[in-house]
Amino acid sequence: MPEEEVAEEGVLNPLQPEIQDPLLKEIIEENDLQADPSRDPLEQPAPLPDPDEVVDCVVIGTGAGGAPLLARLAMAGLKVVALEAGPWHDPRKDFATDEKAQAFLFWNDERLSAGEDPIAFGRNNSGIGVGGSTLHYTAYTPRAQDDDFRLQRDFGVGKDWPIGYEDLEAYYDELEQFLGISGPKNYPWGPTRKHSYPLAPLPLNGAAQLMQRGCEQLGIKTSPAANAALSARYYQEGIGWREACTNRGFCQAGCNIGAKASMDVTFLPLAANYGADIRPNSYVTEIERDASGAVTGVVYEQNGITLRQKCRNLFLCAGAIETPRLLLLNELALNSGQVGRNFTAHTGVQVWGTFPEDVRPYKGIPGALISEDTHRPKDADFAGGYLLQSIGVMPVTFASQAARARKLWGQAGRDYMRNYNHIAGINILGDCLPHDSNYLELAEEKDARGVAKPRIHFTAQENEKRMTAHAENIMRQIWEAAGATDIWAFPRYAHTIGTARMGHSGDDAVVDADGRAFDVPNLYICDNSVFPSALSVNPALTIMALSLRTADKFLEKAR
Amino acid sequence: MLTVGTLIGAAFLLLMASPHYPEGTVRALLATDLVTDATRDALQARLDAPVYEPQYLDGATYELLRAVAARLFPQPDRPENPIELAPAVDKRLLEGGSDGWRYDALPPDREAYRMGLGGIRDSAETMFGQKFLSLSDEQKDQVLAAVQQGTAPGDVWQEMSGVRFFEELLAELTENYYAHPLAQEEIGYVGMADVPGWHHLQLNELDPREPEEQVKL
Repeated sequence: MPEEEVAEEGVLNPLQPEIQDPLLKEIIEENDLQADPSRDPLEQPAPLPDPDEVVDCVVIGTGAGGAPLLARLAMAGLKVVALEAGPWHDPRKDFATDEKAQAFLFWNDERLSAGEDPIAFGRNNSGIGVGGSTLHYTAYTPRAQDDDFRLQRDFGVGKDWPIGYEDLEAYYDELEQFLGISGPKNYPWGPTRKHSYPLAPLPLNGAAQLMQRGCEQLGIKTSPAANAALSARYYQEGIGWREACTNRGFCQAGCNIGAKASMDVTFLPLAANYGADIRPNSYVTEIERDASGAVTGVVYEQNGITLRQKCRNLFLCAGAIETPRLLLLNELALNSGQVGRNFTAHTGVQVWGTFPEDVRPYKGIPGALISEDTHRPKDADFAGGYLLQSIGVMPVTFASQAARARKLWGQAGRDYMRNYNHIAGINILGDCLPHDSNYLELAEEKDARGVAKPRIHFTAQENEKRMTAHAENIMRQIWEAAGATDIWAFPRYAHTIGTARMGHSGDDAVVDADGRAFDVPNLYICDNSVFPSALSVNPALTIMALSLRTADKFLEKAR
Repeated sequence: MLTVGTLIGAAFLLLMASPHYPEGTVRALLATDLVTDATRDALQARLDAPVYEPQYLDGATYELLRAVAARLFPQPDRPENPIELAPAVDKRLLEGGSDGWRYDALPPDREAYRMGLGGIRDSAETMFGQKFLSLSDEQKDQVLAAVQQGTAPGDVWQEMSGVRFFEELLAELTENYYAHPLAQEEIGYVGMADVPGWHHLQLNELDPREPEEQVKL
């Protein structure tokens, strides 16, 4: 018998007292794992799912829509399974600081972009992998303002939300604390807050300093922005300590140190801790129903094998393209006629300039400075409004945009790009109204998986055009005041929104205010497809807030 | 009114019309532990790329693509070893890779490249009565400019938008070019050397490993 065990006999205090300090605990656990990797939970072979087991909930998608509710449902003791089309990455090992090498983060199944202002997908707005698009979001996390939910009331256009700011406020509070959002002590716009951001703002990079300078001269108020990246170490339940941001500037190509609050380092480990079964590389092809129309399970492909998972409830959280695509392919929840319709995107025109100063646009959190003075501009000839954001940029993305918009090539192209270290940008993020000509449909053409490609029609209407012109004018003035030369605009639309909207009635909406499909009692949808209007802010934080709310409403009903 | 500020501004424009950086910066950094293994693997593979034989495009079409790339990214500064932009296109077409979307107005990428390169070949014949590869640099540029502006002659351009095809072609070649470590040296980009993080975010302040501009008159 080993001596240690003998020594334990008759000892009142255990030889290894419980470690209280979470940091020390983590270090000891890491050392143990290195000594014996077979104990690493990530290294264990996944047990084969029982084909006859009926779980409480299946969640399709692990991004901002799926991950928070997955954690909430698991914490309530439900048996939950998440199906994610992409792989589970180890960012520390797998993520390169190289844009091309990181292309695996984007949903690269081809989509067809139609209309007069065809939307770019892939790296512009669509992710894949455990964590979904949050793996490549910029981490810009402003709250929507209360009037964002009421465009129809205030302007007589668009569609009001069946819920409002007051329904989401508590979730915004919770998320900002949970994710460790860095932001100013007193945020200057929107309703009064109950809490300040838990962490100080991230440092202002070159573009932010220049925008601050230009705005000051024009009397436009600015503030350090809210970013879901840590300005100091932060303890995350289910994960341990997350390290502070090192100003890599690479948020849009994946954070390799866990400083950015993507779902894979926040809600998903929390969910897994409470027993959620997260299955990567699982691409859903069919949603099965019984005679009454209720969902009974899903069929998915995992590593070339077709599998079935039965469930009592389904949460569809695949984003505003894949969610309606799955509904259309499965002819599910189509009675309102709104699936695939009301497609909107944020107005997102960027203005770039060349400065005498050394800027080095690859350093620092890209969106460090914000202004919401343009939330409802007094001189507006359009409905709604927008926010202004300074932007840093990675070289390949910038060169590609310059090639498309400025049409530069040959010696002129190379000469312009030599100015890269002197370039700074501002962009907007503005509302966008639904319109009959903007929608998603299934094309005849099939993708590599043999599934009909989605075709997305988008043509900017009068409101978007006026807002973009207003914004471009202001941003050019800011850049001139800040000392820029060679100013140019890159017309762009960001995010995918609105293709399975929520509303009061199944006559003109797909889901109700709680996210439940009007047609299918045990189908819930939660991602940007349920937004009735685009809102004048980046969507990630609001999607997460809706996700927590959807889970709470579901749990209330289940009780 | 002429002020010191405008004079400094004018001097800046004169000097900075195209900032230059020392050679070898990225290559030197790749040999250090300031770069992660994953990052080094990606960049070093491009530096060490062996001579490429086309696997998807036929020999003549591939040479045409190389000749077009040589005009979109002329590299008189690298006469012996230009950054090759065509291999990544050929490989992608072979694998059927996509960046997640395409203009609905264009056919699938393989078809678009087949038609587009064929269109450039035909437009060269129509405009100058010669093969694109035999044209002078100025003539080649005239053909490419006509495609970009949607004015190039030829049946292909009746079926497919030359403007959109050119935009896609230029964007892909641009991304291939600036993904290369030598092109990143050229523009003074060292963001790949990020292991220690960046500590100097103030305008005009550099971390020690960031290259300073050289003034070239």
